[in-house]
Amino acid sequence: MDAEARLAAALGAASAPARDPGFTLAVIRAAEADRFKAEALRSTLTSGAVAAAAACLALMLAGWASLNWSGVQTGILGAGGIFALVATARLMTQRLAPAAVR
Amino acid sequence: MTPDDEARLIAAARKGDSRAYAALVDAHQQAVRGFLRRFAGHWADADDLAQEAFVTAWAKLSRFEGRSSFRSWVSGIGFRIARDAKRAHGRAQVRDSAWLDEQDNVEEGAPLEDRIAVQRAMAELPDEQRAVVALCLGEGFSHSEAAEILKLPLGTVKSHVTRGRERLLRALETDDGR
Repeated sequence: MDAEARLAAALGAASAPARDPGFTLAVIRAAEADRFKAEALRSTLTSGAVAAAAACLALMLAGWASLNWSGVQTGILGAGGIFALVATARLMTQRLAPAAVR
Repeated sequence: MTPDDEARLIAAARKGDSRAYAALVDAHQQAVRGFLRRFAGHWADADDLAQEAFVTAWAKLSRFEGRSSFRSWVSGIGFRIARDAKRAHGRAQVRDSAWLDEQDNVEEGAPLEDRIAVQRAMAELPDEQRAVVALCLGEGFSHSEAAEILKLPLGTVKSHVTRGRERLLRALETDDGR
């Protein structure tokens, strides 16, 4: 065998198998694991951002409320009054409706 | 696989079809792994690198413009990963020993002394020259494909092939003289 042929044979010894389902499966599994990690990271970051925004809003609201406590009290009383009014109206409607049918 | 089949599989894989991508990997793993085995010189690491190259290729498939073949594109990704990688070898040892067991059972092919001499000579070649030799002499890529993969001028690739072949032949002759 001449040197060229020996070189070709020696280089050819390092070749990979023509078909290797194990390798293909390993690639697909690794790719899907990577995708899952990326999705999980994206979802964590989104949830974190929403939570941080909600916390900021809550802090700002608390700060504003402590500075304008009398306004907040008026607001709470007003909201309570409206709620009571609506509840009374609903109650009366429910009691009057069967009487009207009769 | 015809270029039309390949284009169809690439389009499907872009949409996330893992079966289509598996078919692409199946068709091209031999060339990519063969190249990286010769370039990296360390079997198990080379297969890990090839796996990483295919995983990266799928993630970046939307950027594949089709100017080169898919196998050239993945080989280029593999080359850059291999060149930059500084890897631990623990994970590789199991597959290494499996390969060594497999080699013990190989009856045909190049004599062990030739393989060792060529492997040693390959390890001594500069990175670019080794990559060119692995692609063109090992896997049968054309000079222009190798130039595209390695981002080298065609003339440089040709001279790397000539000089690389000379050095490997010299290594075989030196081995005979011992």
